[in-house]
Amino acid sequence: MESRRRAPFASAITVAALLFLFVPLGVVVLFSFNAGGSLTFPFAGFSMRWYREIVDSPAFRDAVLNSAIVASVVAIVTLLFGTLAAYGLTRASSRFRAPVAVLLFLPLTLPGLFLGLSLLVMFARVEIDLSLRTVMIAHLVYVLPYYLLVSVAALQRLDPALEEAGADLGANGWLVFRRVTLPQVWPVLVAAACLAFALSFDEFIITFFVIGPESTLPLFIFSTLRRTVDPSVNAISSLLLAITLALFAVAFGLTLRGAKRAGLAIDETIGGTAR
Amino acid sequence: MASPPEAPARTSEIAERRNARPLIATLPAVVWLIAFFAAPLIVFAVYSFLTNELYAVGLPFTLDGYEAALTSDLNRTLARNSVEVGLSTALVTVVVGMPIAFWLRFVARRSRLAVLFLITASMFASYLVRIYAWRTVLGSRGLINSALERIGLIDQPLGFLLYSRFAVIVAFVHIFLPYVVLVLYAGMGPLAEGLLEAAQDLGAGSSLLWRRVIVPIMAAPAFSAGVFVFILSAADYVTPQFLGGKDGVTLGVQIQQNFIGVGNWPLAAATSFLMLLAFVAVFAIGSFTLRRLRLDDIRLGS
Amino acid sequence: MSATADPMARVRLEGVAKRFGGVVALDDVDLDVADGEFVTLLGPSGCGKTTLLRIVAGFERPSRGRVLLGGEDVTKTPPHKRPANMVFQRPTLFPHLDVAANVAFGPRIDGLSKSEIAERVDRALALVRLEGFQQRRSHELSGGQMQRVALARAIVNRPQVLLLDEPLSALDLKIRLEMEGELRRLHREIGGTFVYVTHDQREALALSDRVVVLNQGHIEQTGTPNEVYRRPSSPFVARFVGDANVIPVDVASSDRGEAEVAVGGYRFRAPVSDVVGAAWLVLRPEVVGLRPASGAGGLQGVVHDLSFRGTGHSYRVAVEGMEAPLKAEVSGTEPIDLGAAVELSWDPDACRLLPRGSGEA
Repeated sequence: MESRRRAPFASAITVAALLFLFVPLGVVVLFSFNAGGSLTFPFAGFSMRWYREIVDSPAFRDAVLNSAIVASVVAIVTLLFGTLAAYGLTRASSRFRAPVAVLLFLPLTLPGLFLGLSLLVMFARVEIDLSLRTVMIAHLVYVLPYYLLVSVAALQRLDPALEEAGADLGANGWLVFRRVTLPQVWPVLVAAACLAFALSFDEFIITFFVIGPESTLPLFIFSTLRRTVDPSVNAISSLLLAITLALFAVAFGLTLRGAKRAGLAIDETIGGTAR
Repeated sequence: MASPPEAPARTSEIAERRNARPLIATLPAVVWLIAFFAAPLIVFAVYSFLTNELYAVGLPFTLDGYEAALTSDLNRTLARNSVEVGLSTALVTVVVGMPIAFWLRFVARRSRLAVLFLITASMFASYLVRIYAWRTVLGSRGLINSALERIGLIDQPLGFLLYSRFAVIVAFVHIFLPYVVLVLYAGMGPLAEGLLEAAQDLGAGSSLLWRRVIVPIMAAPAFSAGVFVFILSAADYVTPQFLGGKDGVTLGVQIQQNFIGVGNWPLAAATSFLMLLAFVAVFAIGSFTLRRLRLDDIRLGS
Repeated sequence: MSATADPMARVRLEGVAKRFGGVVALDDVDLDVADGEFVTLLGPSGCGKTTLLRIVAGFERPSRGRVLLGGEDVTKTPPHKRPANMVFQRPTLFPHLDVAANVAFGPRIDGLSKSEIAERVDRALALVRLEGFQQRRSHELSGGQMQRVALARAIVNRPQVLLLDEPLSALDLKIRLEMEGELRRLHREIGGTFVYVTHDQREALALSDRVVVLNQGHIEQTGTPNEVYRRPSSPFVARFVGDANVIPVDVASSDRGEAEVAVGGYRFRAPVSDVVGAAWLVLRPEVVGLRPASGAGGLQGVVHDLSFRGTGHSYRVAVEGMEAPLKAEVSGTEPIDLGAAVELSWDPDACRLLPRGSGEA
């Protein structure tokens, strides 16, 4: 862009939207350091007491641990299944490709309420006890299409001639994947796995229906919110925000790196993800 | 007079190759989704036709669930709430998202990456934390009310802020706006910078530019983003529970209550499938209209 | 044109056909490439030349026919097991590897020792004159350098056959000419078998021992550059190679070792050929002479268009009764004015007559 376009209206909306998106979250983080128990200004002074309180709570520690276990398993299995599926989708040309793609992306359009309910009904029907395992099963369904959005876009941008060159130089299918394809896309795939972890770690709508007696961090927050106004929720929320945003930052950095490897602009990468 | 034979150009030399073998790699994911996505939906569908008994469901197949779902006055009210909340959210996010996407695509320079980062990051802010944050901001002793009281604009807290449809929509906009912005931004890909300049060069004012160039191109991405937001917000059951007052409760909450509280699974399943049917109808009518208006295939190239 | 049964052929195609859906890309192609030969597949886009090369490399399976490399049937062998390596149209360097690692890709797959790999890489890079470029990354190279690396990467494995798919088409003219020289030198130095694909007739004539002209999925003519240029076997070859005038004529009688050829109302005598009746007259632009009309006879025309060509001028002359203007390239400094009436003449020995079937008229 040579000439700078002036658009005061669009600029104002953008700034307002950023404030709208971040101020409420900022307020929560701010109050998590409030020494007083009130959720109104003025501030009673800086304190870490709410953090200390929640860290001392065994229920909280259990919930965090459970969330971490679930999200780790989900992220790893997604990385495996999703990478295979993305590779298959982008390298196959067959009339079966389209129906497979529809099936793989369809869960994106189904509200979590219905996915959670239908899984609950089926688990009840085939007498599978609800537990963290059923949560993992459900999360994998929910997270997989998001992983595919990112990884399919990344694999599609690769030049197919590079893979042909690899095969031509003597590499079989697996070696082409390992020596040619993977080195170019792994940062994006790991980034997508981070996103999968974050999505699973924060999932509540589906989890609510398919979890057993255990708790996860979102469920812990849910029950705290239901009870009463407890200022420790600010601290819990801030921790959850910190964890997911840290994962996002890692993913963003990796995506940048992946784009650089493939010689692409970051806009394209993000644009491809959103599409 | 005769001319020498010409060589007619053949179609593309490297035509598409047919190769189904890589699809084997999709098998783990496909099997997983058949087992834990398709199969549960089928079981769920079967349940919607079963007879509800005390603490159990069983044969024979009936349409009782559907009849009850359709005839209930409460359901009708809640469905209207769902539609209104979903439509409002979709409209607000698309209308607000459009200038932001425009800004990102055509106005922003060095700050583009930073703003993209922030908007994408906010997508990952925890769902429940957002609900809680808005409760804090909008509550009767919350940020807005206490600030307004302090500067003397009001003596009584504004009650409509929290536990209202307004609060629910605000939270939904907060949740879905980043997503809509990214979809619209990606959709602006085919809008070349030169195209805008050419249009202005030909004397198109900014309103004409929006009406004749930007809106027609953006109709399809705006529609798909809008439908996505509509479906996900209309079927949400958590946000309305926490932030919606009487007029903020939606059909999703009712379905969840039917399941967990009342335990009438066939009724809840029937209500769910009616809702899904409505979503499919919205999508079908919308894309049909787009096609009729020929707004879905306009593509001006960069 | 048909396969001369040469058991020593490095590459042999037997009745190769390829269909994409309903489209015939290749139709019953037979071809032998001898050991050490530099063969070019020449043709317009869509003629099937790239498909043919990809069939030799193994990226495409022929719908019918067999592919033999070094006497061994490789029709069903996947690309990674074929002793043929390819240089692609666009530089396909692996972006995550430096130059040395790109070249070492093949030897590493073969599991050679580290020292052996390093030695081979250095030798291959020396062959393409890129000594000292080992640590560079692909984005630090020019287009010509990238194709040199791709060449080194393809020859480092010492393939029986080197396949080149328009490797110079993405380069600037100056670099292209320089790379042509490099390719000829490389071919001499490593003495390998090269199969080269191009749509540029000048490149084909300059590089190859033998040119195979392809049209609509079949071979029109095979021969040395000189043969293909001087003695085109069809109007297509005549027009595609060297941009010749191809004029419908009638060959009257033939006696005393000469034939009488009628171009519109103009007649001239040509050396005898076995063509009688309807024929195509092939006239290279450079054999056509022009002089201001003097009424002395010869084919009459009007200068329609001219352009400067360095050693002379290139003309298009409109001749009454002829659909397309005649192309002529005349050396000399003084141009003939646009619109001037001219007489055309040519050395009868420099023309070629081809039979004209009724279907072609």
